Amino acid sequence: MKVITKGNLLSWLRQLSQKYTVIAPVTSAEVTLYEPVSNSEIEKINLNFPNTDLSPKNWFFPPSETLFTIVKNEIPKIIPASAGHEAVLFGLHPCDAKGIALIDKAFLAEPADVFYKEKRDKTTLVGLACSTPCLECFCTSVNGGPADPTHLDILLTETTEERYIMYIVTERGGQLLTDAPMQEAEVTSPVPPILNIVPTEGITEIMPRVFNDSYWDRVADRCIHCNICAYVCPCCYCFDIRDYVSKEKIERVRSWESCQSPGFSRIAGGYDPRSTKGTRLRQRWYHKLLYFPERFGDVKCTGCGRCVRSCPVNIDIREIITDVQRMRA
Amino acid sequence: MINEIRNKVKELLETKRVECVIGYERATDNLTARPVFIYEPSQVDRLIFDETCVHNLSKYLLNRKDKPTGIVTKPCDSRGINLLLNESQLHRENLFIIGVVCSGVKKVRFNRIEDSLPTKCQYCPQHTPPLYDFLIGEPVTETSPRNYADVIKIEEMTSKERKMFWSGHFDRCIRCYGCRQACVGCYCYECFVDELDPLWVGIRIAPDENWVWNIGRAFHLSARCIACNECERVCPVNIPLMLINRKLEKDTLRLFEFEPGVNAEVIPPFATFKKEENLGVSE
Repeated sequence: MKVITKGNLLSWLRQLSQKYTVIAPVTSAEVTLYEPVSNSEIEKINLNFPNTDLSPKNWFFPPSETLFTIVKNEIPKIIPASAGHEAVLFGLHPCDAKGIALIDKAFLAEPADVFYKEKRDKTTLVGLACSTPCLECFCTSVNGGPADPTHLDILLTETTEERYIMYIVTERGGQLLTDAPMQEAEVTSPVPPILNIVPTEGITEIMPRVFNDSYWDRVADRCIHCNICAYVCPCCYCFDIRDYVSKEKIERVRSWESCQSPGFSRIAGGYDPRSTKGTRLRQRWYHKLLYFPERFGDVKCTGCGRCVRSCPVNIDIREIITDVQRMRA
Repeated sequence: MINEIRNKVKELLETKRVECVIGYERATDNLTARPVFIYEPSQVDRLIFDETCVHNLSKYLLNRKDKPTGIVTKPCDSRGINLLLNESQLHRENLFIIGVVCSGVKKVRFNRIEDSLPTKCQYCPQHTPPLYDFLIGEPVTETSPRNYADVIKIEEMTSKERKMFWSGHFDRCIRCYGCRQACVGCYCYECFVDELDPLWVGIRIAPDENWVWNIGRAFHLSARCIACNECERVCPVNIPLMLINRKLEKDTLRLFEFEPGVNAEVIPPFATFKKEENLGVSE
């Protein structure tokens, strides 16, 4: 079993940061976010966060990105977006790795989204097993687990006495470790924590039956239709595209959007098929619990608990799933 | 106290004075509160009121403009109703307001109650709602002293320092519009950032656009913000928006001796013009 001390882990990351862009959790102003960390900032990395406030999807699917630029010359010239760097995304919990795997299903399905794919291909995922899950987490109810290595390249597990077990999941992960200061040791892996159980079993079969239930309107009474749930979600991936036009150039820009926005589903002529609060709120749950699983086989939720924690009015996916199960009869 | 609220709500629903009452119930963490809409007299036992009832429920009234509705309000929230009445957004006769005398709420997050009071409660100008049909608790006349130490600290910065300070915060903004959606004063049919054809602000979630959003939002609330703290509370990336709002409040007091939402009869400064107003602009 390969083991690395905390000090050596930081030196390894310092080493990596010379060759790769290292993105890791950093806490400031009481907010923990994934940020690029330079060689001299490695000490800033937070290794003991319950979960980051925003998910690591930002790295592959940034809040905004320029898709291409057209410079106005005599002959207009199209400049594609820059290619991006080789990167290491460090410290993500297994639930967030699952979030990336779920977005992969949509964005890497043919024809793949080139902007997403490029960043995805160039990034190695080094995860950190979750030792103290948040009270809102339920990853084991959505085919995940606090120490699940499935969607990672390397999984680190903290043992007592500030040491980490290095589990090499993929060949790509192994390549990253060629110069890592590790030791061979026999260490017992800590017992993974036990998480809340949410009754997800069979949810996709019930969803079609309750589509017209007034339940959604009652939940929507409380919803304030901000985009917080969608933006903190590790696997929500909707966006809008607009052109920025100036005298010199045109930039085509893509930015996050969400099905909760009043104008999200408005079509030419001004008609909005989801113009009421209830229909917009319902859309989010149907995408997560029916449309996505029908198409890609998996519920579009990682159980990370971010939406539960961040919702200003306590719209709680665990409660929604439980309530829908009760409507089974 | 809670029985008084429940009994009143029951009476309002049974007598069909209102169709629905907006109040608070326990959230799924079994610790904090969340908004609840009570339509049936049999449901009144869901209602709670305690120091975790932080939400300003008055925003919800905009969804029920033409329907007789009851609402449980703290003093700051009832200022929100005054603001909406003042701006002709609600019909007073459709409302039944259950005002609750409030000694302050706690800073809460899901699954967590913090020990400190939110800024709004530290400097609360009144503990009795300025507007109610039925009052719960004994009216209190004393107010907390005004204190703008936090605002003055920012005012004393050089413009460069101030720019740095706010950039540090606005750069984190993800333009989720949680602040707007939670705000009782933000009810434009089409918000300026939703004007996409042509683009007014631009859809980028990036430093420049984030500045325009956050400053534009604040300007639209000058002499209108009722200091309920909701924008700051809901912000998922912890931007101290109340600092901006309190700066507006301080300036509005100094220039117009006006406090939004305290009295629905006083014409707000932006709804009128007085010749004697000389705001430092030359003749």
